[in-house]
Amino acid sequence: MFKELRFASTVSVLLCVAISSLVCGVAWWSSAKADSASGKKDVASRQWAIVRVELPASDESFPPGIGADIASSQCLICHSAGMVLTQPPLKKDEWRAEIVKMRSAYGAPIPDDQVDGLSAYLKNINGRD
Amino acid sequence: MQRSVLVPPQSRRQFLAGVAGVGGLGLTGLLGARAWSGTEDSVVFPFVNGGRNLVKTLPQKGAMVLQRARPPLLETPFEVFDQGIFTPNDRFYVRWHLANIPAFVDPATFRLKVRGHVKQSVSFTLDDLVRKFKPVEIAAVNQCSGNSRGFFAPRVAGGQWANGAMGNALWRGVSLKAVLDRAGVKAGALQVRFNGLDTGILPQTPDFMKSLDVDHSLDGEVMIAYAMNGKPLPLLNGYPLRLVVPGWYATYWVKMLDDIEVLDKPDDNFWMTRAYLIPDTPLADMVPGQLGVKLIPINRMVPRSFFTNVKDQAKFQVGETTTVRGIAFGGDTGVAKVLFSADAGSHWQEARLGSDHGKYSFRQWTVELRHSSAGPQTLMVKAFNTAGASQPDGANWNGSGFMRNVVESVSVQSV
Repeated sequence: MFKELRFASTVSVLLCVAISSLVCGVAWWSSAKADSASGKKDVASRQWAIVRVELPASDESFPPGIGADIASSQCLICHSAGMVLTQPPLKKDEWRAEIVKMRSAYGAPIPDDQVDGLSAYLKNINGRD
Repeated sequence: MQRSVLVPPQSRRQFLAGVAGVGGLGLTGLLGARAWSGTEDSVVFPFVNGGRNLVKTLPQKGAMVLQRARPPLLETPFEVFDQGIFTPNDRFYVRWHLANIPAFVDPATFRLKVRGHVKQSVSFTLDDLVRKFKPVEIAAVNQCSGNSRGFFAPRVAGGQWANGAMGNALWRGVSLKAVLDRAGVKAGALQVRFNGLDTGILPQTPDFMKSLDVDHSLDGEVMIAYAMNGKPLPLLNGYPLRLVVPGWYATYWVKMLDDIEVLDKPDDNFWMTRAYLIPDTPLADMVPGQLGVKLIPINRMVPRSFFTNVKDQAKFQVGETTTVRGIAFGGDTGVAKVLFSADAGSHWQEARLGSDHGKYSFRQWTVELRHSSAGPQTLMVKAFNTAGASQPDGANWNGSGFMRNVVESVSVQSV
């Protein structure tokens, strides 16, 4: 279908979650009621659903071009490429403002001498004049 | 193979670029004759770069619109809102800021801590919360501050949501006031700060934390939810605990909540002072490029209403009657009425309202629309809340893409 997400053994994970949610979820509610009625203390955490998931990952890469290496090494530290590719087309100085925000607000380690190249690349792949 | 001409060229180019890694496989069939509304694997929102994949492999989730894989931004497909007033957990939208999200939370060792400007620091197990507190329940809409950002004109950067970054659930948990009372808020407390288990990848990324004023925190309405729609929260929606702030934008509804800190001074953390700020104007409205606008933290929601069973470009048969329906919510208070127009706003009639699940819930509305003559029509819907607030006829705008609540309209045709 598409390659945006990677799930190793997704099916088994989902099955486990579904089953444990169902079983534990029911147990949790019914025994919580029973306990409050009887005043019994604590039987505890087995009544909570055990939730273990595989978080979405992304194989999506930046389109080739001058500066793609900067985008791949910097932007992907904190977020997948989809964040960039779904933005409206931005002017080069608007992309620069986004890069500056990523550096100053979120601590992205983009060196000074890569800011212009990255702005130009982002404008090329998803920009306007 | 030729693609539908309905897809804006920019959308098509970027959408295909987004799946280029497949190496050509899968491109065929991704966009076909139904490109405007999407295929079973995709949707195309009516704005530039609006192509999105529809994903069915997300943990504890059914089909969701993939906005971003990491950290996850997942939108509820809009047809879900036609299926009931409560949004199912497995279709409820998802929005995370920071990518270090625990994929497993051990309910045996999890603790909710309350500390700071309190008489005594306390911590609670999940079972403590279930057994030692009176349970409270409230139906409430959770809506992203930036819901509908993709429709902003001029466009603004940020998560490019259509209208599905919202949901309504029956939340069950304990009142925040009851929890704070166990710790004993000391005189001089000003705000209460909420933190969850998620963190940034980089140590220098500000941890995601949000604060409410002490009075708001003690109003008895703000709650800590351990269940949504009768089940534990999906992990992506904040399992095991999530703050519920009825009537306020979702940025305050901190997920995987494990730390509550009472502050004796205003919270100066990044997420309160530099992010999620809105113009201090009605509906956070301003003119693009306007200078000197005073900014304040986003807060209460505003009224909205939507069509759920009639899409743009729908066709009707002359002589027939359609039950047009949708949902409305009042924002920070209940829905007073919903008005419907079949002539682009020249005349309005009151819609019939469905069951009332409380003032913070979605409410269904319906009207019977008779298609008496052939031709195009613009249908509109406008909600009023019990405080008299309504939706603007023209779109409100700000540079962050927050709080859109313009009157919704659909163009239809009777033939």
